[in-house]
Amino acid sequence: MPTVIAIVEDDPDQRENYSDVLKSHGYEVRTYADRPSAEAGFARELPNLALLDIMLGEDMDGGFDLCMQLRNMSPTLPIIFLTARDSDADRISSQRMTAWDYITKPVSLEFLVARVHALLKISDQLQSAPTASTTVSVGALELNEDSMLVRWKGQSVSLTLTEFWIIESLTRNPGHVRTYDALSDVTRQGLVERNTINGYIRRIRNKFRELDESFDRIQTVHGTGYKWEQGSA
Amino acid sequence: MNASVDRASAQNNRQATASRTSRPVRRGLKIRTKLLLLVSFLLVIPWMGYESVREMEKFLLEGQEQALELTTQGISSILGNRSDLFDPGVGVPELVGSSTGNPLKTLEEPLAIDAPAGVWAQAIGELSSFTGVGLYECGADYRPDLLAVRHAMALNADMLFAYFEIDDDRVVLRDPGLLSLDSNDQIRLTIQRGSGEVSRYLLTTQEPGRISVYLMKPNWREVVNGEALRDIVGTLEPGEGGYAVKIRIPREFLGTGARLKFEVVDVDDEASRAIRQIISTEPDPFRFEFGSVRLATPELAKLIQPLYVAEANITVWDAFFRVRAQVGSVFPPVREAFGRAPQKRSFLTQIEDRFLEFFEWILRSPQRGVKDMPVDSSREDRRLLSRVIAEGNSITERRRYGEAKLIVTASPIWAAGNMEGAVLVKQSANKLLSLQYRTLQRFTLLFLGVFIFLGIAILVFATRLTYRVGKLQRETEQAATPEGRLLKNRIRAGSRSSDELGSLTRSISALLQNLGQYTQYLEKLPDTLAHELHNPLNVVNSSLENLQYNHAELSEDKHLQRARNGVGRLRSIITSLTEAASLKEALTREQVQSETFDLALLVRNCVEGYQAAHPGYRIVPNFSEAPVLILGVPDRIAQMLDKLIDNAIQFGSENGLIIVNLRRDAEFIELSVLNDGPSLPDDIADRLFDPMVSSTKDARKTHLGLGLYIVRLVAESHRGTVRAENRRGSRGVEVTVALPVEIRRRG
Repeated sequence: MPTVIAIVEDDPDQRENYSDVLKSHGYEVRTYADRPSAEAGFARELPNLALLDIMLGEDMDGGFDLCMQLRNMSPTLPIIFLTARDSDADRISSQRMTAWDYITKPVSLEFLVARVHALLKISDQLQSAPTASTTVSVGALELNEDSMLVRWKGQSVSLTLTEFWIIESLTRNPGHVRTYDALSDVTRQGLVERNTINGYIRRIRNKFRELDESFDRIQTVHGTGYKWEQGSA
Repeated sequence: MNASVDRASAQNNRQATASRTSRPVRRGLKIRTKLLLLVSFLLVIPWMGYESVREMEKFLLEGQEQALELTTQGISSILGNRSDLFDPGVGVPELVGSSTGNPLKTLEEPLAIDAPAGVWAQAIGELSSFTGVGLYECGADYRPDLLAVRHAMALNADMLFAYFEIDDDRVVLRDPGLLSLDSNDQIRLTIQRGSGEVSRYLLTTQEPGRISVYLMKPNWREVVNGEALRDIVGTLEPGEGGYAVKIRIPREFLGTGARLKFEVVDVDDEASRAIRQIISTEPDPFRFEFGSVRLATPELAKLIQPLYVAEANITVWDAFFRVRAQVGSVFPPVREAFGRAPQKRSFLTQIEDRFLEFFEWILRSPQRGVKDMPVDSSREDRRLLSRVIAEGNSITERRRYGEAKLIVTASPIWAAGNMEGAVLVKQSANKLLSLQYRTLQRFTLLFLGVFIFLGIAILVFATRLTYRVGKLQRETEQAATPEGRLLKNRIRAGSRSSDELGSLTRSISALLQNLGQYTQYLEKLPDTLAHELHNPLNVVNSSLENLQYNHAELSEDKHLQRARNGVGRLRSIITSLTEAASLKEALTREQVQSETFDLALLVRNCVEGYQAAHPGYRIVPNFSEAPVLILGVPDRIAQMLDKLIDNAIQFGSENGLIIVNLRRDAEFIELSVLNDGPSLPDDIADRLFDPMVSSTKDARKTHLGLGLYIVRLVAESHRGTVRAENRRGSRGVEVTVALPVEIRRRG
């Protein structure tokens, strides 16, 4: 059964470019230019993964609406927001709708394909029973690479793919500094500014602090990067 | 490095910034001063009032003058052709005296003939002097130091009193050994009785005391009757430089219509006993008639009495300058006088009195006019009369005695073609003056009230206006920073007022609001722009990638590489645009995340990181290990340091030296980054920390000038300031961030 990827993007050039690269990697692609056509398409056939732009023509939040509909249809469908909008508010909205990833334009197609691969794999893993063998524990943190599941002190932390990768990278070698360059590679977005990394870290910290106000494991090494402090517990 | 020099330069820098943007202050009058100056123009009004009152006075004086002229002419025509009134024989012979003097004084009590001369002098009233050269029978060799006579007469019910003060260098009394009566100092009295009979009496004495009176023949040598007369009584009293003579004549003795003439005869040589000088009370001794006896005619007075005018003096004169009748006085009755009864006064009323005195001085109180009015103005009257009699016309003149004003008109009285006499009317302009004074007083008070009221009103108004304008100015100035950034978008003070200032305030508010919206738009522009650029950039980027993917052989193609480089540069531009735009919001949001941390440690760590990232440069921290605690958001401080280092590298010399300093004093923590690059260009030095300002000339180095803008935003969110200046002594630029010390020392 071919893997179907739905692309909702109002700009035909970008849409076709995404479509081309994904097709060349062997995926079936359904492209939609606006919300009504996408809704109709989803009703006919639920894709394996959806790539959504937030702004669809005049429809400022069309992507969010579609995301909600898809989430209603399938709780485990991987959804990636691919947008030019880079505000925290948008990121929080996407998180609230349990989108799996949030990528800002311009996106490297190479990394896009990698992310799609990764998310599909995780989606597969979630549909089958998660295997405990792939779960890594770092102190109070539990990390399951296959299913992108993160638990802090037993509570599930909802992270995007990029955030998950950053946590994974930081905890791979606790106590050691991950430089900005290393973290930039991990985000798989091409060239990433320090400020963008700082933004990711800030959001990750906020997510942990929602569960545990005293969370302070991610420490800043100014001018260099970040490290995961193992702590005593 | 010398810290004080550094601070001075920093201050210079701030001053320079301030002078660039401070509001121009011009010297000149402020609104309040201008309005008060305008009010002072009101002072013209009292001047105008004064002038108009003066005009009015002139007009009224003319009216008074005309009225007086009419009165005078009326009197003169009534008295015309009444020769009987001027007949010397008509009338009561009571009034005798000097030729042109005032009517004789009437005494209540008779004067004792033995009373001292001083008593007489005081009781008898004003003395007429008979010392004038040429007026009397004195001769060409008259010397006033040898003989001078002062004389006056008074009446009571049945006696006439005559009093003489005679200055004589040598008093020669009658020698008892000599028979002759006339060879000594003597007084000759001539009486022309109503019947026309003339009697001559010689008054002489051998020693001071009683005077003997003899009836003489016309030659004044022989006695008609050797017996001394008892009717006329006189005494001689020697005085200083001469002697005084007191004479009493019964009025019965004189009869009706009598005329008198006195002659004072002076003999100085005791040996020859020759008459040296005779002074007569008669101006024209050659006339047969005895002109000296003045007869006031009661009928005349009765005739002119009904014509009496207030504060006027009417005198009727005969052709020989003798007063025939007199009515009224130029002085106002006492109760009309302006004096105040003295009474105990409180301090306040004393001030009031002082004020009133000043007032009267300013306004020329008519009281002074009364004071200045002469009691006797007969000399001027005579002059006027002589003109009237000479010309035969009515004459009117105004006289001034100091502050006193007198209107005098004189008109001749005709009788059958002969000039019988003249009527002279004097009226004081006092009444007018007091009217004028009262008008001026009222006017001045009214004006003062209005002036003070207006002055205060305008002062209050102007103060309020100045205050409002000042407040508006302050608020307007506070609405934006000296760099021109808006701090608020409306002005609250006085915006509800309905006047022009209120609408100006509203206009400025609207202007600020529009400006604020525009600024907001401008601030959002980079973000909007970035957002809009992202999509086409994504198209180019993904297309390039597709191209490369589909044509693997092109992956090393130089044009493709260049295209990708271009995309990369474009992307970093857009990223920095969004970074700056989102930073402002983020900073306000993050202020709650402030924490106290060691800035020195943070800077040292960062510098290590920069050194690792830029191995070609030498990045050197130049400060001690001591912790510098500061309250702030460490991530943002690090971000700020990133930009400072980026900036220093970008504008420094290739592989140069970058020094990072951290200083602390009582007020500020100063973090500065120094490079060794070219000096700051003058044209943008002031705006270096504004967005989109960059001095780069290298087209391939992407620099939007947002780095230092971000530095400024972060510094300002920490209530700090930034400045850039050329290094002293060596090449390079120093960018300094001064953050206020806000330390909570741990432990």
